[in-house]
Order: sequence, then structure tokens, then C-alpha cells
Amino acid sequence: MDTRLEDVWRRESPHVLGALVRRYGHFDACEDAVQEALLSAALHWPREGLPANPRGWLVRAASRRLVDALRSDRARLDRETTANRLAPSEAPATDSDDSLHVLLLCCHPSLTPASQVALTLRAVGGLTTEQIAAAFLVPVATMGQRISRAKARLQAAGARLGDVTRADLPARVESARQVLYLVFNEGYAATGGSDLLDVPLTAEAIRLTRELHRRLPSDTETAGLLALMLLTEARRAARADDRGDLVPLADQDRGRWDRPLIAEGVRLVEAALPAGPVGPFQLQAAIAAVHGEAAAYADTDWPQIAELYRMLDAIAPSRVVTMNRAVAVAMTDGPEAALAMLDPLLREPVRGHRLQAVRAHLLEQAGRATEARAAFREAARLATSTPEQRYLHRKAAALAD
Amino acid sequence: MKYVILIHSNPQPWGHPTGDYIAEHQALPAAQRERLNAEFERLLTEMSANGELVAAEALADPSTATLYRWSGGEPLATDGPYSESKEHLAGFFLIDVSGPERAQEIATAFSGPGETVELRPAMWPGGEEH
Repeated sequence: MDTRLEDVWRRESPHVLGALVRRYGHFDACEDAVQEALLSAALHWPREGLPANPRGWLVRAASRRLVDALRSDRARLDRETTANRLAPSEAPATDSDDSLHVLLLCCHPSLTPASQVALTLRAVGGLTTEQIAAAFLVPVATMGQRISRAKARLQAAGARLGDVTRADLPARVESARQVLYLVFNEGYAATGGSDLLDVPLTAEAIRLTRELHRRLPSDTETAGLLALMLLTEARRAARADDRGDLVPLADQDRGRWDRPLIAEGVRLVEAALPAGPVGPFQLQAAIAAVHGEAAAYADTDWPQIAELYRMLDAIAPSRVVTMNRAVAVAMTDGPEAALAMLDPLLREPVRGHRLQAVRAHLLEQAGRATEARAAFREAARLATSTPEQRYLHRKAAALAD
Repeated sequence: MKYVILIHSNPQPWGHPTGDYIAEHQALPAAQRERLNAEFERLLTEMSANGELVAAEALADPSTATLYRWSGGEPLATDGPYSESKEHLAGFFLIDVSGPERAQEIATAFSGPGETVELRPAMWPGGEEH
């Protein structure tokens, strides 16, 4: 019963919250009321069985609590101006799907990306503040403050559900995609805290992106994002060894890749690419799909990957894209051609271990062992993730032999 | 009561866990190294579970630091490291424990050959009365 209750709750909570906020406003008070409705459900459902319409049950229970709470606030403050709006006989509709609206509300432009992420996990993902804090490795009190500040800011900005106009929608959906991508990356890159979570952030990001894709099936970038997540998640089991150290793509055991996930990702991106404007998520997904379809690293279709990175560099230029493009060019035109592509980046005053790590691998391929060792050492010096640092030290030490 | 435990160390090359890159630590017999590591892991797990561990970070190479000093009426940024000494701040733990005895017990277990572990009480209102 416990896990079933949990499943129902996680599926229904954004809908219940959305229904209440749409009807009454007061995001903060609605959230409290939804939490209380869950407590009530936890008492009643195990004894009486799951109601036929859990969402309707939760919306009714939460509405009663909310109306009571708002009334007692009003009585205390002696403000009765809108009390007549709160007649409980007019319960909010329970058949509408409001989770998308809640997601778009959480991605309000008045919030910082970190706050958008935290609020999305809380209000749309149904995670507790403790779970979100554990996922981001920050104290619970810090995360609690971040979430309440975000809610206060929404209130101050007068943000309400359903206030997204048709003209705002593309920008809001774009920021929702960025938020979901951040959630996924946080889960994927985290090496420490993720084991402590019963709900991995990557799974949560995929679940919410699936939902967004289901609601906006013709949005090709959302399809691209979902494909990118699935294709990346498919490699999870092969990405770290028993010690938790990083295994690069070239050395991964492809037998441990999740084939059904890869097939689903490939289908999504193949349908999205010809259907609409090509964006960065679709191109990154297409690159991940080419890797996913190669039976071995040596079988990778490098000319296609180099071309996809060229397109990506044209629409969304960045240092990371240039570095990845150089790696693909090394496979088609040799390491010296790739190293030449990196030269302009070396002149920029940006520090970071990644450029040195890519250079080190290319120098190693080119047979320039002494320079490669120095570059691996420099990359290790700049690295801020312990598993990456250990990997780079190992590479430098191996070249010293 | 809150304390920070500061690890002053000089891993060569810079790396974490620092013990893996410290000659004195590597010179210990393998069995003793394993015992120290296991004890450290056990204590860290216990402190995470009982809430004594508030925060912990391993720090990147001190030469990657940027230092901000006031110069000619405005801040001037230069590259690190902060100190010329042999040992550098390599990481810290913020702990919240029942009293000084427990803090000392933890700091003792965190110490290792070739490193200095600094146990430093945090200031808090009325702290001097304890």
C-alpha cells in the first residue's frame, strides 16, 4: 500500500496543486493544503482502500483545508472582502490536467534558474524539501529557504496560473526545457549524493520531460530533449567502474548499455529532426544516437558526428561544442587537425580542466607523450570533481611508464 | 556546538583523497592504510546518518585560487596560492556535535600522516559560557 500510495501521490500532486492554485491563487497556502490532504489520505486510504477517483478525493480534501485556512486567516486579519469567493460548494474542477501549467508557473522569468529547478521538483515532481536538498547536497534549511523565497517572489510578481499568453508560451516552454535539462544534468553529473536518493534526479527529469512531450507532441525541441536524456541515461551503467571512477565513452562496455532506451531515443530524434526547426537539443540527441547505434567505439560514424557538431557549433557556439567537434575531427582527419581547432581556445583567459583534458587525449593520439603527460597533469590540477581528477592522474601516470 | 575541521595538506600531485597522494601515508603498511580508511568511512557514514555532518568539501589545487586584495582604493585580483607555506587548505568539514569531547574524537579520527588537522570552534551567541 505504501508504495502504491506514494505512486498515486507523486502522479496526482501537481494536478491537485494546479487545480487549487488555478481556482484560489495563494500558491504557498495551496501547497500547505495539498500536503495536509496527503496526510489525510495516508490515514484514510490504507484503512478504506484507494478511492475510485484519487485526484478528486485529494482536490476535495485539499480545498476544504485551504478554505478553512484562508477563512481563519481572514477572520484573524478581519478582512472579509473576498470571503464570498471562497464558497466550498464551488470546488475546482478535478478532470483537467494542470501539471503543465504548474511547470510553466515554476519557470516564471522572475526566478533564478536554481529557484526554478527547486520549485519545479517540489511542485511538479512532488519531491520533499529533504529529497531536493539531498539531491543538491545542500542542508535542508538552505533548500527550504530557497523554495520559500521563490514562492514569495512569485507572489510579489503577481504570477498566477494560466497567465501565460500564447505569445509568452514559446519562451516559457524553452525555460521549462532548460530547467528539466539542469535537473537531468545535476542527477547525471552527481557522483556523491545520488545514491542516497530513492528517486534519482535523472528519472524525475525524464518523467517530467515525457509529460511535457506528451502535452506538446509537435514541439520538436522537447522531443529532442527527451531523446537526449534517454540516450544519455542508457549509458549510465557503463559510465562508472566499481570504485565510482569515470569510464570514458571509448572504454565503456557497450553490453551494459540499455538497448530499449537507445531504441526509443533514436525513434524520437528521427521523428523530430525532419518535422520542424532543428535546435540544439535535437542535434545533441542525434549525436548521442549515432554513438548509441555503434556496436563498438571503432565502428562509430565519425564523419556524421563531425558534421552534426559543425551544425551545432553554427547554431549554438560554445567552447564545449568546439572541443567535442575537435574530438570527432581527430577521428576523421587526425589528431593534428583537431589540435589546430583548439588553438584559439587556448588563447582565451578561461580556466577549466576540460580543454586541457581534451588536448591531452589528442596529444596522446598524436604520439606526443611528454606534452600529453604535462596536459593530463595540468587538467588534473584544474579539475574540481574528485573522480575526474583521479582519472586524469591515472592517465598521466600511465604515460610516465 | 558547531566546529569546522580544516585539513591542511600537501598532496603531490594535488588530489583527493589526499592520503592517496601523500608519501608518508603511502609508506604505511597496506593493512594499516586499509584500517584507517575503513575507520574514516565508517565515521563519515555515522555522522551523515546522525546529522553531525553539516557540510564538507574537497578543495581544488590552491594554485587555481583567485585572491582579491585591496590596492590603491580598489580590489585587485591575482592568481593563487594564498600562502607560500608547504601545506595548504585541502578541504573542510562543518560539524554540529554535542560537545568538545565528540569534536575532538572526530578530529582525531580524521588525522593522518603528513597532514595537519585543525579543529576550530565556531562563534555563537553565548558560546563563551560553555
